[in-house]
Amino acid sequence: MPEEPTDPCSLEVQLGRLRLANPVLVGSGTFGYAREMEHLVDLGRLGGILPKTVTAEPRIGNAPWRTIETPAGMLNSIGLDNDGIEAFIQHHLPYLSRLAAPVIVSIAGRSRDEFVAMAARLDGLEGVAAIELNISCPNVSGGVDLGTDPRMCEKVVAGCRAACSLPVIAKLTPNVTDIQEIARAATTGGADAISAINTCLGMAVDWRKARPLLGNTLGGLSGPAIKPIALRIVYQIAAAVDTPIIGIGGIANVDDVMEFLVTGATAVQIGTANFYNPTATMTVLDQLPEALSQLGASSIPAIVGTLKT
Amino acid sequence: MTNPLHAAYYADSAVQQRVCVVENVPLARDTFRIRFHCPQIAKRILPGQFVMMRLNAGDDPLLARPLALYDTVLDGDQQPVGLDIVYLVVGKMTGRLAKLSAGSDMEVWGPLGNGFATPPTDHLLMVAGGIGQTPFLALARQYLGQRVYGGSPLRLTPPERVTLCYGARSGVYLAGVEDFEALGVRVRLSTDDGTCGHRGLVTDLLRRELDGAGEGTHVVCCGPEPMMEAVSQITAVAQVPCQVSLETPMACGIGICFSCVAKVRDGQGGWDYQRTCVEGPVFAAERIEW
Ligand SMILES: Cc1cc2nc3c(=O)[nH]c(=O)nc-3n(C[C@H](O)[C@H](O)[C@H](O)COP(=O)(O)OP(=O)(O)OC[C@H]3O[C@@H](n4cnc5c(N)ncnc54)[C@H](O)[C@@H]3O)c2cc1C
Ligand SMILES: Cc1cc2nc3c(=O)[nH]c(=O)nc-3n(C[C@H](O)[C@H](O)[C@H](O)COP(=O)(O)O)c2cc1C
Ligand code: FES
Repeated sequence: MPEEPTDPCSLEVQLGRLRLANPVLVGSGTFGYAREMEHLVDLGRLGGILPKTVTAEPRIGNAPWRTIETPAGMLNSIGLDNDGIEAFIQHHLPYLSRLAAPVIVSIAGRSRDEFVAMAARLDGLEGVAAIELNISCPNVSGGVDLGTDPRMCEKVVAGCRAACSLPVIAKLTPNVTDIQEIARAATTGGADAISAINTCLGMAVDWRKARPLLGNTLGGLSGPAIKPIALRIVYQIAAAVDTPIIGIGGIANVDDVMEFLVTGATAVQIGTANFYNPTATMTVLDQLPEALSQLGASSIPAIVGTLKT
Repeated sequence: MTNPLHAAYYADSAVQQRVCVVENVPLARDTFRIRFHCPQIAKRILPGQFVMMRLNAGDDPLLARPLALYDTVLDGDQQPVGLDIVYLVVGKMTGRLAKLSAGSDMEVWGPLGNGFATPPTDHLLMVAGGIGQTPFLALARQYLGQRVYGGSPLRLTPPERVTLCYGARSGVYLAGVEDFEALGVRVRLSTDDGTCGHRGLVTDLLRRELDGAGEGTHVVCCGPEPMMEAVSQITAVAQVPCQVSLETPMACGIGICFSCVAKVRDGQGGWDYQRTCVEGPVFAAERIEW
């Protein structure tokens, strides 16, 4: 019998109302505004691009030092340095909207109302495929409170959902006692997907000077060091809700991606790895079909959450 | 002017490559010159630009480190095929770098940053402190018309004088002085302990050079921040143009992490944090809010 023409393996994924050609995205704040990377990576190949979080008003960001390397990780306290949503729309969106990859705009408000106003502002703009609500940035007070209180989380998500027709993704912080409670709140609020995790709150100290090393004292830990925490959180969220999950945290290669998918993530974001291996996303995309085939799978959904425990 | 999309420079000719170490030799105390093969970067890189270098040795140290172009390495046909980087061992990554032998590989991306502006000048005066001399060898060579960088020669009359004022803690740390002398650069040295050259600060040497003869001089400066601040004050008083190459710690080197910021004046009495890896590392000294 002639063999069926083998369908090239599909990498497509569905995140609520958002359909992506593949599950490999880049994390907000770890890819600039994408233009910086245009000569190093083929931007059109990415499953999705998350530019650096924008806020309602310009923010100057925190004083240096803004990052500190730690074993297998780094701490950052950038402080959401950005020129505000209007500058983003005027200067960055025209470029981003020309890219072949979908652009998911990450927004952070200091209050529910600010989130809702930003969601409404982005609604209908060319080139915006979805919004990600950064209710989890540890570097600005306000942000973190919205992501640690289930009621506030639900209100922010529901408000944004009502304010625009775009798919809404809630990005959660790991710095909570009960992640399942927050994930349920995001789901009740109507999130199309849940991104997890943002950075883990941490600090670094110079004992000789008896001073913290970061200008802002506390910062967010990211990189390979947090992968086990991120996997645990994806696992717990998957057990609590059916909302698709975008796994984030220490992902640097195709093995890491596969671990997150099997654990319950439908897609992933690569963050800190972009800093120390700018072409990491391309290598992952090159190797993903082969990794899937090792599990006898020819699509992403076939392996999502197949973890046997 | 604060729009980050308008960065002076993006990594618009950068490539990421696994490179092979050709040699790694000591130059002075704790100071080495590493040479590696990387034709794609070598044919594009300009004086004052840098590369990010990462060891292929796991996740600690996790991040790459920025290191300036010392010089390009040419093949028999005078084509740039490799890079020389001169580095001082100060910590985790440079400590391990010093142990790499020929044949080892590393991950490198570049060329990055803006590089020096190259206005015509009668006197190119390079002021270096610590390991800050590294970006100046290629710059001097370029000004003197002795080598082409980035594929196009500088089309200007070479300066009448090229001077290096170079200060270090102690004579044993002075690295590459012969390389500058071989180019015909006037070298003026200072050491904190007086073991070589003038006993005192490199800014003393700078004052001497500028004394009454500042006109037509163009200063470039690289070194510890207090020294660069002092140099920018001296040159401001002397009304001599000055460029500084900042050594801000960098996590990515390509403009995506926003960690390498310096306070840059906006010309209207204010300042803004700018990324030194894409807006710099070279700035007109008067733009820096120290
Ligand atoms: C554009 C540019 C060009 C450079 N060119 C050269 C060159 O040609 N040759 C050369 O030798 N060096 C050069 N440097 C400096 C070089 O990058 C550093 O010396 C190197 O990163 C040290 O790495 P390490 O792992 O050995 O030291 P680390 O272990 O990282 O630490 C070295 C020192 O830096 C301090 N430090 C660590 N993190 C920070 C932070 N976030 N902010 C401030 N200080 C911190 C530490 O306390 C320690 O004292 C350049 C830097 C820049 C930005
Ligand atoms: C320097 C830096 C800046 C970041 N900025 C943002 C940001 O602006 N918005 C956001 O939602 N997450 C931000 N993050 C978090 C990342 O998107 C990601 O959630 C986190 O770093 C964990 O993934 P990683 O280990 O792959 O980096 C930032 C992370 C780093 C390291
Ligand atoms: S080092 Fe990352 S933005 Fe400059």
